[in-house]
Amino acid sequence: MRTTGITTAALAAGTVLLLLSGCTARDAEPVPTSAAPVDESSLVAALPDATTEVDEVTWGLVEGEPRTLDPAAEYSFVIPNLCESLLQLQPDFTVEPGLATSAEWVDPTTFVIDLREGVTFWDGTPLTPADVVFSMERNRVESSPWFPAFVLVDTIEQTGDHQVTVSFTAPDSTFRDALSSAAGAVVNAAQAQQAGDAFGTASGDILCTGPYELADWTPGTEIVTTANADYWGGAPLTETLRYVFVPDGTTLTTALLEGEIDGAFNVAPGSRSVFESSDEGRLVLGPSTASFSFGPTRSTGAGANPDIRRALSLAIDREQYVQTVLSGLGAPQKTFTPPFAWDGMEAADQYTDAYAALPDVEFDLEAATALVEESGEDLSVPLVVAIPAGAKELAQTAAIIQAAGAQLGLTVEIDERQPADFTEIFFDPAARESIDFVATAGYLDSPGVLGYAQQFLLPPDLGGFFNWSEYSNEAVTGELQVARTTLDPAASADAFIAAQEVFAPDQLQVTLAGAYHLTFLNDGLTGVTTSVAAYSSPWALHLGAE
Amino acid sequence: MNPRVLAQLARQLGSLALTLFLSSVVIFCAVLLTPGDPVSAFAGGTRPTPDMIAAIRAEHHLDDPVWLQYLHWAGGVLTGDLGTSYVYRTDVVDLIAPRVGITVLLVAYAVVLIAVFGVGSGIVAATRGRIADRAVLMATSIGMALPTFVVAILLIWIFARVLGWFPVYGAGEGFLDQLYHLTLPAISLAVLYIAYLSRITRGAVVSQLHSEHVETARVRGIPRARIFRRHVFLNASPQILAVSGATVAGLFAVSAIAEQAFGIGGLGSLLTEAAARKDVPVVQVISLLLVVVFVVLNAIADVAIAIIDPDSVKPGRTA
Repeated sequence: MRTTGITTAALAAGTVLLLLSGCTARDAEPVPTSAAPVDESSLVAALPDATTEVDEVTWGLVEGEPRTLDPAAEYSFVIPNLCESLLQLQPDFTVEPGLATSAEWVDPTTFVIDLREGVTFWDGTPLTPADVVFSMERNRVESSPWFPAFVLVDTIEQTGDHQVTVSFTAPDSTFRDALSSAAGAVVNAAQAQQAGDAFGTASGDILCTGPYELADWTPGTEIVTTANADYWGGAPLTETLRYVFVPDGTTLTTALLEGEIDGAFNVAPGSRSVFESSDEGRLVLGPSTASFSFGPTRSTGAGANPDIRRALSLAIDREQYVQTVLSGLGAPQKTFTPPFAWDGMEAADQYTDAYAALPDVEFDLEAATALVEESGEDLSVPLVVAIPAGAKELAQTAAIIQAAGAQLGLTVEIDERQPADFTEIFFDPAARESIDFVATAGYLDSPGVLGYAQQFLLPPDLGGFFNWSEYSNEAVTGELQVARTTLDPAASADAFIAAQEVFAPDQLQVTLAGAYHLTFLNDGLTGVTTSVAAYSSPWALHLGAE
Repeated sequence: MNPRVLAQLARQLGSLALTLFLSSVVIFCAVLLTPGDPVSAFAGGTRPTPDMIAAIRAEHHLDDPVWLQYLHWAGGVLTGDLGTSYVYRTDVVDLIAPRVGITVLLVAYAVVLIAVFGVGSGIVAATRGRIADRAVLMATSIGMALPTFVVAILLIWIFARVLGWFPVYGAGEGFLDQLYHLTLPAISLAVLYIAYLSRITRGAVVSQLHSEHVETARVRGIPRARIFRRHVFLNASPQILAVSGATVAGLFAVSAIAEQAFGIGGLGSLLTEAAARKDVPVVQVISLLLVVVFVVLNAIADVAIAIIDPDSVKPGRTA
């Protein structure tokens, strides 16, 4: 489980979708006002493996140029193809062996990782337990985005020629799945230490074991990676995978439609119709854990009042939201934990049943108005929603919240912030004082149901990093702790579900919709992971020609 | 060389140093005044603890008074250390170097277009009769009204999507391929300035055509073409050159829009991105680079004017 999905995606949105709001799809055919509904069973998690070699594939990164390729410090679609994790996340969100052939609990507080033998880094040096210990320790520092996965870890030690043992202060039901994300990514210890601060940057280097190796990085222009001929899982069929940085969504759309760029993830949903009518490639809709939501930023003001959040939730028509913001490429979602997060887990049926039992999202202005009246809040004080500048979908989201507020007599102001200004919200409490809500797009990069719940509901010292409204409910805290420290999947699920029944109505995040994972790929190419698992696993391993 | 020209050159150098100093102070303060904490640039994907934030602040002197921060930065620059990007953690030089070439090429391409079509259409308007004049006037009115990003969208739509003549994305590899890739971006940059320079040229040429010395030359029976070269265009050129210096420098700043629209990783797009992320060292260095270009190009234009028309250099005049 990863706990910074929201921050990350929010940051990404802030830096990435620049200019989108100005000109999406204006260069293309008109977008229909009502988009065709999507049958969820038709979502595709991965395209069939390629069978034919291809010389070069150009991949567009709408997120822009990565700051670094260090898996401990950045999220980027480049990294999972270079630096692998101990376990490999599959497109359907199940977890399979990766650099580890086995990673299991041998007793309630001891977790043993057996490494795959014969794995080498790109330079031919063998993968050792020391590299694994080094890589995990890098993530086990408080500032790391993956620190939450390691909070219960006591020691990480080499216990054999191909074995690492992790000791815990308490059992941790989330640890194994977390190793399939970048929390379990392994880098070469010697090279990382030698590179120091430059590790992973354009002027430094990086050494990993993945199916592609870093060949060249020209700042501002491209990152070139080439097939790792000695990859333990077999060399990829794509000889050169070139990443180009296209932070302008419109430019990316046009370049994809013209075939100048072969593929990209996270293409603009607003361009759905031009993608669907393209004869150059196809738009693939995949399952995802991504969602759009907004939540309170402080413990005072109307935003901290659950009644006001419930009222705003009731005043927003979710079907309409999905149409307007996502062009139909998503679905309303009942709570912040997205169903795909547990799809591959052992207790999936329990979670699915509990989700089904949650009340449906309703659109009921009368009930909403009544809630606002009962709330006793001073309606003359405007509510401020912060969004990152240039993120088109979030700008629309804020406008929809504003319109919903107006219906209820609430004044909602939109505070569009530049990246540096927006990021500050996430680590500086003073920056949150002048706003009431922050609207974000977030995703979970590995299986697990506890990610959001822990961040939004627990006290800060127990991992409630984004519990800015100071939500506190002893029963919820207790059940979530039990869910985390119970290794039996069914018992852990029971505890989570018990907590969910209590916290769901409080809408610590007003979840507006889940968004599908969007991939555009040139005709003739195949073998790409098209689900949200692409954030964590080598999604281009099977990339090649049909 | 004319001593007055040399004196002019010396004054230009002095004013360059002063301009650089003043603008570096202004830019430094302006970046610090914008909302947002530079710490967020360092934070990136991580979640900095209060201790880490304090460490970052101390390491990069973010808690020092502004003037001390400025001295720190300026001291580095004077000793050849342009600083390290907050966001990319690489030397600013390493970030900028690979981008300079493409932006220079883009601007140079646009300059050629502006010079040829701007001056050309201005001369046509001034000398080829009423209909030509009206046509150029109309075209330049439209050209001046169109913002660069709108031109970019139009060009992409017509020449890339419908006709498929030019690529929509990237800067290309190798000189000819780069020229091919930069054609649409250069046109989108140039349109506004072509229109502007066309108007200036027309005005300058028309005023020369009606001047006394041209009338005299005409009466003396000197051939039209020769009158135009020696008397009209040469005398009109200082005015055109004076505008050109500022225009080219302005192009570097506006290039960000074309770079963004066509997915070109140049200086302009780096500057916009750095400003948004509060990457102070990068903003600072690129901005100063733009100031240098601005001042130097203006100085070159002034020197050129002084050579063509030494009388125009009056004592005490500076850039």
